[in-house]
Amino acid sequence: MIAGAFNIAALRSGRRPSEILLLFGLIRRIAVPAIGVGTLFLFVFGLWLVHEAGYGYSDGWIVTSIILLILGNAIGGYAGSRDRRTAEYAQQLVAQGDAPSAELHARVRDPISLAGSYGSGLILVALLAIMIWKPGA
Amino acid sequence: MLAAIRPDSWNLPLFLHVLGATLLFGTTATVAIAGFAARARRDHSALLARIVLRTFLLGVIPSWILMRAGAAWIGDKEFPDKTPGWVDVGFIVSEPGAILLVIVGILAWLAARKQGVGRAAVAVPVLASIYLVALGIAWFAMSAKPS
Repeated sequence: MIAGAFNIAALRSGRRPSEILLLFGLIRRIAVPAIGVGTLFLFVFGLWLVHEAGYGYSDGWIVTSIILLILGNAIGGYAGSRDRRTAEYAQQLVAQGDAPSAELHARVRDPISLAGSYGSGLILVALLAIMIWKPGA
Repeated sequence: MLAAIRPDSWNLPLFLHVLGATLLFGTTATVAIAGFAARARRDHSALLARIVLRTFLLGVIPSWILMRAGAAWIGDKEFPDKTPGWVDVGFIVSEPGAILLVIVGILAWLAARKQGVGRAAVAVPVLASIYLVALGIAWFAMSAKPS
């Protein structure tokens, strides 16, 4: 959510490179570590809960959930690496006068990066649905 | 184990409630983070104050409605007569919490009008953080069901 909100704010045309750098910096310094800690907790306590609730680790919905969690993080991580290069480019533009740049705007709107970021978010919604419906349980 | 034995008809309202609560926590955290960042980065305080206001209007309010509507729906199904203590904790956080959110919204609007400077801009992230703590308490009550 945090990363999505700052990412949407960065998409607006006419943003100065320093503004893009600020927004992507907030994502990198705050949202990304929060996602990492949250994923670790989700994984560790999720597996513990599977044991406590008496489900099997090989149940289809558990295996699907673990695969989706790994996939979501991999896709989000790949999108994040593209955004990191965009932030580096924004940093260069700040040093050159901080004027709005069509090239930077195009990089912020990179469809692969956006698909990765929002796709990983949708995967988490699907994960929540599986946790509640438990198909096959 | 309760989750394992609940009727299928409870799944959709529970999903909407948990999704709304998750989005509410995330959007409120965004308001707090952008608000604190506005204090630290005076050169971008106007931008960050606008992000706070938009996140509040387009994120916090819809997700609060989703969370609360889902709670009412699942509450009616699961506890038609009397609600247990852990559900009451959720209502205590969501309803007086809504008043706090209205105050946050008014202050966020004032802060955006003043380009992210002034007392309103200082108060918004502090109040949003207090609401996050309250949501954390409700989260524990909903998950651990202490009573």
